[in-house]
Amino acid sequence: MQLSEEQVLALAPDESSKKSGKELCNPAKWVSRGVNELALWGECQGSGSKPYQAQVDLVNIAFKCSCPSRKFPCKHGIGLLLLYARYKTAFTSTAMPAWVSEWISKRSERQEKQAVQKERAVDEAAQAKRRQAREQKVSDGIEELLQWIKDIIRNGIINIPEKGSAWFENMARRLVDAQAPGLAGMLKNIAAINFYREGWQSEFIDQLLRLYIVATGYRNSASLSPLLQQDLRSWIGFTQNQDELKEQTGITDTWLVLGKQLTEEDNLTIERNWLYGVTSNRYALVLQFLIRGQGGQLSLTPGLFVQAELVFYPSTVPLRAIVKNQIATEKTQQYKGFANWQEVVEAETALSAAWPVRSERPFIVEQLRPVYFEQQWWLQDCNHAMMPIKSGFNSIWKLLSLSGGEPLNIAVVGKEKLYEPFGVWYQQEYKIL
Amino acid sequence: MQTWEQIINTALLGTDKRTLAISEWPPELAAVAAQLQASVTDREDLFLQTAALAFNYRQCGAKPLQKEGLSITKAQLEEKQYCSPLALQTLKDIFDSESISLLQFWLQLCEAKGRIVTPEFVPELLNLGIPQKKLQNLVAACCGKRGEWLARFNPEWNFSTATTDTELWQTGSIEQRKGVLEELRKTDATTAREWVLQTWAQEDAATKVEFLLILANNVNEGDIAFLESLSKEKSKKVRDLALWLLKQIPGSPIVQQYQQVLQKTVTIGKKGLQIKLPAGLDESIFKTGIDKLSNSKEFTDEEFIVMQLMQSVPPLFWENRLNSTPDLIIRTMQKDATNKKFLPALVQAVVAFKDQRWATAFMQNSQVFYIDIIPLLPVKEQEFYSIKFIDQFAENIIEHAIKREDTWSIDLTRAIFIHTARSVYQYNRSFYSRYIHCIPVGIVTELEKCAPPEEYLATTWRNTGEYITRLLELKKQTIQSFND
Repeated sequence: MQLSEEQVLALAPDESSKKSGKELCNPAKWVSRGVNELALWGECQGSGSKPYQAQVDLVNIAFKCSCPSRKFPCKHGIGLLLLYARYKTAFTSTAMPAWVSEWISKRSERQEKQAVQKERAVDEAAQAKRRQAREQKVSDGIEELLQWIKDIIRNGIINIPEKGSAWFENMARRLVDAQAPGLAGMLKNIAAINFYREGWQSEFIDQLLRLYIVATGYRNSASLSPLLQQDLRSWIGFTQNQDELKEQTGITDTWLVLGKQLTEEDNLTIERNWLYGVTSNRYALVLQFLIRGQGGQLSLTPGLFVQAELVFYPSTVPLRAIVKNQIATEKTQQYKGFANWQEVVEAETALSAAWPVRSERPFIVEQLRPVYFEQQWWLQDCNHAMMPIKSGFNSIWKLLSLSGGEPLNIAVVGKEKLYEPFGVWYQQEYKIL
Repeated sequence: MQTWEQIINTALLGTDKRTLAISEWPPELAAVAAQLQASVTDREDLFLQTAALAFNYRQCGAKPLQKEGLSITKAQLEEKQYCSPLALQTLKDIFDSESISLLQFWLQLCEAKGRIVTPEFVPELLNLGIPQKKLQNLVAACCGKRGEWLARFNPEWNFSTATTDTELWQTGSIEQRKGVLEELRKTDATTAREWVLQTWAQEDAATKVEFLLILANNVNEGDIAFLESLSKEKSKKVRDLALWLLKQIPGSPIVQQYQQVLQKTVTIGKKGLQIKLPAGLDESIFKTGIDKLSNSKEFTDEEFIVMQLMQSVPPLFWENRLNSTPDLIIRTMQKDATNKKFLPALVQAVVAFKDQRWATAFMQNSQVFYIDIIPLLPVKEQEFYSIKFIDQFAENIIEHAIKREDTWSIDLTRAIFIHTARSVYQYNRSFYSRYIHCIPVGIVTELEKCAPPEEYLATTWRNTGEYITRLLELKKQTIQSFND
């Protein structure tokens, strides 16, 4: 597995680990260094008399270190990976010492056991029973949710800000109990609305209606197309079996990694990778869930062109996908974006007509220039049509500096009337903002 | 969209109190909404379904804002070349190291080579320039036309807008004005004074003090008229400072007056200098900051007055007065207990009048080491004496060394490090980071030699050494990247 410095740093549990890890990225700090196809290991001279033994399982990224740090991975793990990213030649040994081979073989034994468990025959009758029970639970939860929404509408939303987030979270918990985590997540988003901000009413009604559409849609799903049913199920929180997905034939293309968003929930980091297929002219969202201290299976570096086979989740407006095969990294390729905002909104209309609850999507829009109007920054196309940039966009100055007043091809993510730039093409090179 | 507002207003009050009116809705939407009204009986469901319809209608109909005539001025084309990729990579690493001193070093080289950074680095550099006022001119120079253009959109970056020194002097911040004045004073003392004169009436007392301190550099006879005119200034600080400056100009009336007094006071006899104040002493000297009464047990009142006068008289006066050489005068004075007391005053005069000949003479003949004299010596001698006396005067010597803008020799650096390696709390990482511009790259191989013998100190020093090595690698990389 090949991790870039950036990716290694993303594994660090906090800023100080990043910093300490960087300091250990120095061959002189390591008494021994080794690597083979299974593991990466090294002994780092710390303050103690014996050097610390740090090791990384390269097949399924995992760390182990003999230092007493409670952080995971510790600075030695980060430092070792950084060192490998920067000075590959410094890793001369390939024969695993005993302390590495023992750990690696224990890990592979455990994985084999897990695989055996997986292969055990599935009791189909029991599975069907479980599925039925769940669907019943979800239906009950939805009835309760609809009643709750109707109560709000009957009484008026004027007093909603006073309810406090606990009121929403209570309902969200009931939806979790009803095994509808997707709906619970939508409710949590409502709870997160800033009720002190002007215009909260519109935002609140928007979100409430989305919830209502999904809930009633599911109730009436029997009459809908299978794809729409899939959309509803995934928004409610039924998971898609990834192994089944992987068995399907995907779209093989050269995908440009437009950007990466990281969000954290409890101990889980959600990595949202936005991709664009240069031949298929399709956009994709590849999610990766990272548990603290474990590396991802995927390494998608923003700005790189990757040749890969992607399988899209079934949907009326396919966007989310999984990477079935990542073949190689390629050099810069040609691409074709939307010529102006009119083309973008037309595409948006088609998407919203098919699935009104959909979330934001990426777009490459050509020849946009940032302009300042009515106390905010906008992106203006060659026809003088413009869309506002999402407030709180941090990299406005970098965007502006790269533009210098000239139009640029820009990758944005957004929907309706708010877009956030991700990257720009500056002198034929894709730059992440 | 009016439809949406109607929905929000109904939702605010609740369907119990208000019914959604669809009469004024767009016809295509109203038609479907009317169908819903006919088929849905539950009030809340009817509202929610109608609203959901309008929600998607709004969403599907979102359009960009069409605004003609709105534009953005374009940045001017750059006149200078961009830095090499290696230089930019080094700059990135320097950002990570958080060493402002290295950043300054990088910017100085970049400016000297007439290069600029690529646009993606401009905002970060401008941001770094906000708190680092001293770097502002350099940042502005290295950000080129793009920086100038970008600063128009962010008032905090205004420092990059004025480019010529005259513009900076007229329109810049106080720090920038000080910066250009200081530079000009070094090369063209007369114009610098004229600049100060032009705006003098408008400056506040604190700024006047700052400017006078800058004029102390290269103070000369041309400044006399201006400095004398300051005796009527309101601020005592300004008046005192002007007087202090006048006392550093050999030709100024005040120095002349002191010389005349000393001419009559000091004679040479068998035991060296004989001191006796003349009768009918010109009382006006006491209005120029000379104290009548001694504040030290060592000096009589009379000696105290003479000592003060000696501080403000160029050492050359004594060569003429005593018809002797600096070496002889110093040696003679050292022999007599009373004369010896006046040597520090003479040293102060050497420092005030920046007399290099006398400085060297003091270093060669004096039994006492005068740290104040060090800056007056040629660099080689400065380093020689710094190394020689570092064990006794380490702190003072380091204090002087860090004021230097140039790079120390390996020998001096080693001598300093041997001392600093022992005081890990006083000289921590930030010390090395701050003065990395003075530290020569070549010291890397000698760091081990500077380690203290005590194991606990040696371990800390090893860690510090690694930190210094990393900074020096960046420094080396900076030099290399601008050499290509």
